[in-house]
Amino acid sequence: METAEPSPHPVSIHNFSDKICERLVHFHVMSLQDCFLLWVGCSARLCNLAVSMCSRYDSMPLSSLILGDKSDTTSSSFAQRLAKKTKKQVFASINIPTDDSQLMLLIEKRIKEEMESFPEKF
Amino acid sequence: MNTPAAEVKPVVVSKQAEQVINGVVTQVVCTAFTNHILVLVTQYGKMGTLVSVTPNMVTGDLAKPTLTTKVLLGCDEPIIHVCAKNLVSFVSQESKNKPVLLALALKDKNVDSIKTVKEVIKSCQVW
Repeated sequence: METAEPSPHPVSIHNFSDKICERLVHFHVMSLQDCFLLWVGCSARLCNLAVSMCSRYDSMPLSSLILGDKSDTTSSSFAQRLAKKTKKQVFASINIPTDDSQLMLLIEKRIKEEMESFPEKF
Repeated sequence: MNTPAAEVKPVVVSKQAEQVINGVVTQVVCTAFTNHILVLVTQYGKMGTLVSVTPNMVTGDLAKPTLTTKVLLGCDEPIIHVCAKNLVSFVSQESKNKPVLLALALKDKNVDSIKTVKEVIKSCQVW
């Protein structure tokens, strides 16, 4: 006899946008069981994807770029910081011109604010 | 002044569905980016194996382009390539040959179940 299995965590989708440094930046979060995907961009392009998760052998989560330009470490370091903060598996795709470090800092701050306001969305 | 977030329409459109297929709760989410379609099919509530399904556009416009599947993350076994091609070939074709990124976490890889999953993906059309 098959026992009734518990339903998996429902997938939740969360979109938000904000004007940061005179640019309209869009955020898209897809949250699953113990993991989430975060996409950030000014237009709806998906150019890279990084994955990161905690490891019991290292205090810093492991991170790897699985799609896109390997020389651009923005997404993988972003995923790594989010994995460290949330202890979840994190997929991150940052589609922002990376020459503006101020913009990147503010984006990260904005994500942290959203995580504090809506922890259930991540 | 900041633009109130509620007034801005999201740039990425996604649709989701949940269906019990052969006794297993299956969740499907399709998300449209301008250069990719992201399809999530999960029976574990997780991302599972990530497969990129890319059309080969060199052969001209006469025939349907062939598709290349590549496992980006997870177990690279032949069945995954078969499932991926089966499930999302039509998504690439219908979306003017966009590459598809498929996150697949299946408990049940039955042919009939795959057919049903494909119908659920169709119901989440964002392309």
